[in-house]
Amino acid sequence: MPRFFSNKRLILLLVGIIVLVALISFSLKDRQNATLPEQIVKDVVGFGQSLFSKPAHYITGTLDKIDGILNTYEENKHLKARLKEYASTQAELADVKADNKKLREIVDKKDSLREYEPIQATVISRNPDQWEEKIVIDKGAAAGVELNRAVITANGLIGKVVLVTAFTSTVELLSTENSNFRVAAVIPGEEAIFGLIEGYDPARGELIMKRIDSNFDVKEGQKVESSGLGGIFPKGLLIGEVTEVSTDDFGLTKLAYIRPAADFSMLDHVMVVQRSTGVTSGTDGIVPDEDEEGEDES
Amino acid sequence: MIRFIIPLIAVILFFLEPVFSLFSPISIADVSYTLVPRFVIVYLIFITAYYGRKRAILYGIILGLLYDMYHIDIIGVYTFLYPVICYFAALIIRQIHRHIITVMLLSLAMVALLELMSFFFASLIALTAIGFEEFIVLRLMPTMVANSIFVGMFGYLFKRLIDELGMQKAGI
Repeated sequence: MPRFFSNKRLILLLVGIIVLVALISFSLKDRQNATLPEQIVKDVVGFGQSLFSKPAHYITGTLDKIDGILNTYEENKHLKARLKEYASTQAELADVKADNKKLREIVDKKDSLREYEPIQATVISRNPDQWEEKIVIDKGAAAGVELNRAVITANGLIGKVVLVTAFTSTVELLSTENSNFRVAAVIPGEEAIFGLIEGYDPARGELIMKRIDSNFDVKEGQKVESSGLGGIFPKGLLIGEVTEVSTDDFGLTKLAYIRPAADFSMLDHVMVVQRSTGVTSGTDGIVPDEDEEGEDES
Repeated sequence: MIRFIIPLIAVILFFLEPVFSLFSPISIADVSYTLVPRFVIVYLIFITAYYGRKRAILYGIILGLLYDMYHIDIIGVYTFLYPVICYFAALIIRQIHRHIITVMLLSLAMVALLELMSFFFASLIALTAIGFEEFIVLRLMPTMVANSIFVGMFGYLFKRLIDELGMQKAGI
């Protein structure tokens, strides 16, 4: 039987393992900030990556367009049916907006948690071994992206920025299994119902909203938005829709399963949003000692 | 010029992996299956089989390091896994006939091994909480299907290319 390793190779392998364990533990310790060599590699590889992913997006975009043209007739019929409804809603919205503005002036309140400034970005890659749900976008610190910004698509909230280099940033998606990723959420209605988006059920493909006061009556089909009370995310970013309500492990509070509004696969164009009202720096992860806290603990 | 073609293809595959992973996860009947493109390791095993072990391990270390720094943010995972997989492949390839079909099967087996090792690593540092059975059904099976398609489409091409370039190098 041939020997599996010669002595020299065995020693080489052991030394290699020791070095790698040291490297792994070193880089696991502080994953929110990249060291200088890491930043350079990220920017250079990111540039190369965008050369590949932009044509790919163009191709999928064209296919989508062809698909859209094929469905035009059906869609047109459907949209026409909704047009009437839309006109009246539009009128009502304008009325309400004007009202809101007037009332704000009366109480002399200028800032709103709702307002935000978007930065447009393109997704250039997704972490190929999908243990962590991370994507890389082509805008970084040079374009004004900062740590912990919310990231949205036209459909709703998808995640937050977890690492920034000069020309790229890494975004952790809501569908992560990371339990430190929390979003302060609200179910708007006559009585707003507050809770935290905390965790994801991969088998169901749904988010879990926890810590809902059991006195409130949550119904299936209700929409869930970010509440803006976590200090980082703007208010009113759509997260999803309630599909099932049950009680949590201890029976003290309710939890709800939420079907996300945004699709987490096939992402191409996203927006990084910074809310206009001051961002609190309390538990948002910039302070190195508290970076495990997540950003939205209430 | 020809010298650069083999590493160039490795780099192109490295860049194509994340583009293909944008399509994942695919949901069929409300169950979402994760497809992991493992093009680089397949190519590295073809290099191991038809070009040379040392070259494959060298590319494995470099691409693994880039992969770790760019995608994972934990340095050392794939920097270790890629060369080790190439080394195992080299040990096995010595015992068997280098027919294209056996090399294709070997590369698929190594993709499965890589997936398993990365699963154990991810469970170890608590990146994931999924159980072993879930991993097999939701992740390993669809990954193997996707990568078999890739190997079936490009395996022969890789063999021809690496063989030819290897010949040229030997001729000069």
